[in-house]
Amino acid sequence: MNGAVWILASIGVPVVMGLVLLCVPSIRKRSAVVGITAAGLIMTAVSVFAAVGSGAGSVTLWYLAKGVPVYFQIDSVGQLFASMVTLVWLCGGAFAFSYMKHEENEKWYYGCYLLVYGIVNGLDFSGNIVTFYMFYELMTILSFPLVLHSRSREAIMAGLRYLFYSFCGAYLVLFGIYFLYRYGTTLTFTADGVLDPQLTAGRESFLLFVAFLMILGFGVKAGMFPLHGWLPVAHPVAPAPASAVLSGIIVKSGVLGMLRVVYYLFGTAFLRGSWVQYVWLSLALFTVFMGSMLAYRERVLKKRLAYSTVSQISYILFGLAVMNQTAFTGSMLHVVCHACIKSGLFLVAGAVIVQTGKTRVEELTGIGKEMPVLLWCYTICSLALIGIPPTGGFLSKWYLAMGALEGNALPVFGWLGPVVLLVSALLTAGYLLPVTIRGFFPGQGFDYGNLQKREPGVAMLLPILILTSVSVFAGMFPSALVRFLGGMLW
Amino acid sequence: MEPVMMFVVVLLPVFAGVLVFLLPFRKRVHRLVFLEGMVTLTSVLAIWLLLDHPGDKLAIVKFTGDLTLSFRIDGMSMVFGGMAAVLWPLATLYAFEYMEHEQREKSFFLFYTLTYGVTLGIAFAEDMMTMYFFYELLTLVTVPLVMHTLSREAILASRKYLYYSLGGAAFGFLGLIFIIVYGSPDFVMGGSLNLAKIGGRTNLLLLIYVLAFLGFGVKAAVCPFNSWLPAAGVAPTPVTALLHAVAVVKAGAFAIIRLTYYCFGVEFLRGTWAQGVVMSVALVTILYGSGRAVKETHLKRRLAYSTISNLSYILFGVTIMTPLGLAGALTHMLCHAVMKICSFFCAGAVICKTGRTFIYELDGIGRKMPVVMGIFTVASLALMGTPGLCGFVSKWHLAQAAVDSADPLAFAGVGVLLVSALLTAVYMLTVAVRAWFPPAGFCDKSLAGITDPGICMLLPVCLFVGAMVLLGVYSMPLTDFLQRVSQGIY
Amino acid sequence: MDFVCNFPFFSILLTLFSGTICSMLPRRAAKWVNTGVILAAGGMSLALLIWMLSGGECFVYRMGHFPAPWGNEIRAGILEAAMALFFCLIMLLSMWGGRKKLDEEVEESKHNLYYVLVNLLLSSLLALVYTNDLFTAYVFVEINTIAACGLIMIRQIGRTLAAAVRYMIMSLVGSGLLLIGLCMLYDLTGHLLMSNIREQVEVIMAEGTYAIPLVITVALMVVGLAIKSALFPFHAWLPDAYGYSTISSAAILSSLASKGYIFLLIKIIYRVIGFTVFNNTHIINVLFVFGLMAMVFGSLSAIKESGIRRMIAFSSVAQVGYIYMGIGLGTKVGMVASVYHIFAHAAGKALLFIAVIGLTDVSGFSRRFIDQTGAGFRNKIAGIGFTVGSLSMVGVPVFAGFVSKILFAQAAVNNSRKLLPTMIVLAVSTILNAIYFMKTVIRIYTPAPDCGFEGVALRKEKLYALSILLFIALNIALGMSSQPVVDAISTGLDMFG
Repeated sequence: MNGAVWILASIGVPVVMGLVLLCVPSIRKRSAVVGITAAGLIMTAVSVFAAVGSGAGSVTLWYLAKGVPVYFQIDSVGQLFASMVTLVWLCGGAFAFSYMKHEENEKWYYGCYLLVYGIVNGLDFSGNIVTFYMFYELMTILSFPLVLHSRSREAIMAGLRYLFYSFCGAYLVLFGIYFLYRYGTTLTFTADGVLDPQLTAGRESFLLFVAFLMILGFGVKAGMFPLHGWLPVAHPVAPAPASAVLSGIIVKSGVLGMLRVVYYLFGTAFLRGSWVQYVWLSLALFTVFMGSMLAYRERVLKKRLAYSTVSQISYILFGLAVMNQTAFTGSMLHVVCHACIKSGLFLVAGAVIVQTGKTRVEELTGIGKEMPVLLWCYTICSLALIGIPPTGGFLSKWYLAMGALEGNALPVFGWLGPVVLLVSALLTAGYLLPVTIRGFFPGQGFDYGNLQKREPGVAMLLPILILTSVSVFAGMFPSALVRFLGGMLW
Repeated sequence: MEPVMMFVVVLLPVFAGVLVFLLPFRKRVHRLVFLEGMVTLTSVLAIWLLLDHPGDKLAIVKFTGDLTLSFRIDGMSMVFGGMAAVLWPLATLYAFEYMEHEQREKSFFLFYTLTYGVTLGIAFAEDMMTMYFFYELLTLVTVPLVMHTLSREAILASRKYLYYSLGGAAFGFLGLIFIIVYGSPDFVMGGSLNLAKIGGRTNLLLLIYVLAFLGFGVKAAVCPFNSWLPAAGVAPTPVTALLHAVAVVKAGAFAIIRLTYYCFGVEFLRGTWAQGVVMSVALVTILYGSGRAVKETHLKRRLAYSTISNLSYILFGVTIMTPLGLAGALTHMLCHAVMKICSFFCAGAVICKTGRTFIYELDGIGRKMPVVMGIFTVASLALMGTPGLCGFVSKWHLAQAAVDSADPLAFAGVGVLLVSALLTAVYMLTVAVRAWFPPAGFCDKSLAGITDPGICMLLPVCLFVGAMVLLGVYSMPLTDFLQRVSQGIY
Repeated sequence: MDFVCNFPFFSILLTLFSGTICSMLPRRAAKWVNTGVILAAGGMSLALLIWMLSGGECFVYRMGHFPAPWGNEIRAGILEAAMALFFCLIMLLSMWGGRKKLDEEVEESKHNLYYVLVNLLLSSLLALVYTNDLFTAYVFVEINTIAACGLIMIRQIGRTLAAAVRYMIMSLVGSGLLLIGLCMLYDLTGHLLMSNIREQVEVIMAEGTYAIPLVITVALMVVGLAIKSALFPFHAWLPDAYGYSTISSAAILSSLASKGYIFLLIKIIYRVIGFTVFNNTHIINVLFVFGLMAMVFGSLSAIKESGIRRMIAFSSVAQVGYIYMGIGLGTKVGMVASVYHIFAHAAGKALLFIAVIGLTDVSGFSRRFIDQTGAGFRNKIAGIGFTVGSLSMVGVPVFAGFVSKILFAQAAVNNSRKLLPTMIVLAVSTILNAIYFMKTVIRIYTPAPDCGFEGVALRKEKLYALSILLFIALNIALGMSSQPVVDAISTGLDMFG
């Protein structure tokens, strides 16, 4: 019961605060807005950690239709995701307080930021797929203002694209839900799946198709090929802290969705060895490679990071698709690491924009001389993303590769997977490190005379530092985390 | 209550309309209060009747042979009549404020109120003959409303409306005749066909069913007989909202329900080629309506195309031909009524206050009319089927019925529903996005002096939005009731 | 024998002689005599009908001294009485409605002549209804034709003369065929009285030797009457005749004259040839097909037409098609529907003609469709009348046309071979009717602020308004409580034998 209250608080508090911020016209002063936001963030964070800490608890709110309750529960997946969300959200929020000074319509931003926070919490604690779907849709709608915050034509088009791709995915999922309700015993997330063998008898091939559609649907949010088109467009146009949460968290909701569908609804036993698994694996691998290639060719830093997200998320998906404990652990580790790393990188890019106004990679020559701390953070995060020991990235990729190779269970993919992961890691190095190199070693002919001290203030640096250090420490002291992750389902 | 009250309730609005037309009221407000009083009185009586549902027959006139004009209240009457009775007073209230800027108010209210009586007549009709009788009358009394502005466009629209409606009724007439000859004209849940009489003429009867379906489908705007509906949007908004989103078009759907479930009977139709044909028609219409809505730039016409699509959701439910399907159809009938009337009212408020009718003219209107556009946005979300709002509930039931029927075409239908939901997102949300997020550099000088409308307009839409949320979060009593209705319990 | 049994004879005689009298009376008196005579004939028919309904049997009334098979006979049953009553009623209302127009359009010196012709027409109609003798029928067919020509020509403009000539020629072709058929029938059977012929026909058919000549004979008579009643494709004379004559004439001709022939045809089918015999010939299929074609092509022509009165005239072609289609179904229910449609169409079409004249008068006397814009606002009662008439023609519930549509459709369902074509054509023709009638209704209610035509006050046209209101009432009565009428028709047909 206690846990239940905290769940509701973690959803309700930010939603109410966000609505207050959006709807009460008399709150105009910046200090008031920031104050409310900060209070909201902190209160929510407390509720989330209380809920996570309470370990168990569930609550049914009401019934949308017969047999379809709005139902929340705390399980290990929820705990993991909620903690991660809170970490990133707090950092993004703290960063935004200084970043958003130079943007308009701050109230909109903070209102939506809080709202989405609550919604994402609801998503993480959802106990059945309909509740999950409900928050999933709400998340799409409410994060939409974050994307088109700048109101430029480009941003609006990107926002619409985000919206419609997301809905497209959501409806694919909904299609599956309709059938799950009929052919499953319950819609509540249950380890090992809910399919009713009596009902499904004779309809397996159709249900596999349904499962594939659901995976594809959640793949939209996770930027999985072929429905990744929105991601590199939408993430960069948002303000940097929004990009950070979009890339760090919102895309993970797609991952969470797939996890729930595959592991908690259909059950791995049903899908393992089917064509769905192989298609999913190939799509994930292809996306890994494609994302890296596209990132490699991209010149605008934020877009490059967005493409990188496309690639990295598919690492996670690959791990999920392998469907064994090791790979799963790797996936979850990568969820955490990527959330911290990518948010950190986006925040760095944002800080660079605030301090210098530069967005393109080739313009960033010599920034290491101007803001060394920032660039160090960037470098460490990049290394983590590439997967250099002892960072978290290394560990997650290690587990992923081990999982793929484990027991020779997978034909072709067993060796193809690790190879693609490695190639992609090389590419990652290729597209991330040039910034570091040019930043610190601008090379001949660089005009050192123009250099100024441009290091951002503590308020901006601190969130970045926190995220960077988490991504490193996750790799250095992993045993507790790995044990937790490994025990989530097995 | 005495059964004769049914006749009284049908006649009351007729008298009220005529009185409003003839009586010399000294002030406008007196007339309006009188009219609203009469309409409300009718509604109260109607709802009382429906709740009290006498169940016994009231024969009024004998046409020829055993064809009579007679009333009886059953479950379907409760649904349709209840819908009309709840919406009409609110729509009338809205019309007061709206009609301030239109001409010839008296004749408008005359026909508007007449239509109420006729609609109740359709709801209370005890047999096919009576329903057909009121169905034709409905066409006649609504034509003057379409013509109301007497502009060239309105004349052409009303002509088109008449041709289509009368033509459709001519084919519905075939169904009527066959039902009279091969069954009984009385509505019997499960169908009144006399199977012994049919002998080897099954295919003929199926053909007639399809023709009658298409005939009544003209009012329900099935493809390819729907171009009258967008054209009829030239009428004043209260007409478009109440009649061409609810009363008239749903009368078409209602007639089809009566035809399918109460005359031919689903036992006779299920699994035949006729079911395939009519279901395909419904599915094509869903896609066609949504597709055209996306292309349309005129706000009211876009909503009209949306109506076309949504009406076929209802028909899709009907053509599943199971009690669940009917329950889904009825749920969507009610939910769509609320959603669409609400969005039309919002559109009407915008037209009334700004004179703008095209979507590209609506930039930034959300800031000036926050309440109206906020409600419009909620209605849009509901139409898309966002969980927590009523659209989700109705689609849920429709899809469940489709999945439950295990008919491959119905499975495809679920997919069509979702594709259409995506298109709905496109055509509804682009409006909301324009209104709320005008492009950067937007100058709101052109919107000076525009405010939210007065209480007469706001009260109905606020109530509707409340209903949407209420139905969205707590729909079980309603859906249980509808399920009982569709099993023929009432 | 009750006194009331003399009424058929009286009414025929009365109308015939009043015709002669009218030519000698002053104009005003002629008008009143005409009205009085129609009322009297109507009253007598009503009395007869009531007597019949209250238990009277159908009867044969011997004219003159000679008994059958040489004498001349009148026969009356429920159907005859009802038909006679209805003809009188429509005639009266049409005269009232067109009276003002008549005064304006026709030279004063010819008014007497007009009333003479009307009385003659009525007498011939009554005779067609009541007679039991084929030759008498032929004689009155000719009287009918002559009177009708006069009614067309009475308004002397070029178009009416041409129309009258065309009508005359076509009509004479029709009566010629009828006459030939009659002669051959007489040759074959040796009788002129209907009941006697019938007995012989049965014998002939049973023997089979003269069956084919008999069928040809029947065909000749049917074609003759079909031409006279303007069945498609013999309708060429109709649009001008109805479209340009003075309005009472148009109303009377379209709703009565052609219906008299149709009634005669029905009588011949039942009383002369025998229903079953007739049904076994292929003539019935021909009638059916032409009926269907008339329903479609008549309406199509009406849609193309740009003059409002010619449009309504073409609509008559379609409506006659309905009637023949009903006959062509070859069932009793079909026949009931046809007879009912005679009533329904007469009530609706006469109303339309009367209403149209009110509309054209407030539109600068133009018949062009386009000039009628807004006429419904200028002459309100005519507008309402036209709307009601249109709705009835389209077959909207409440009005007479709907009931006949139901009856037709129900009749068709029982005939498995003709079912689908009938149903489809019925639906299509409803749509076509809707197109041209509703187009007009919307046109007359489209405002035309700067057309410059004056409206007309209701006060000045009391008689006109009254006739329109009565017509509307008649339409609604037929539409809402058709059961007694249908019952009467049904019993009447049974009485035919």
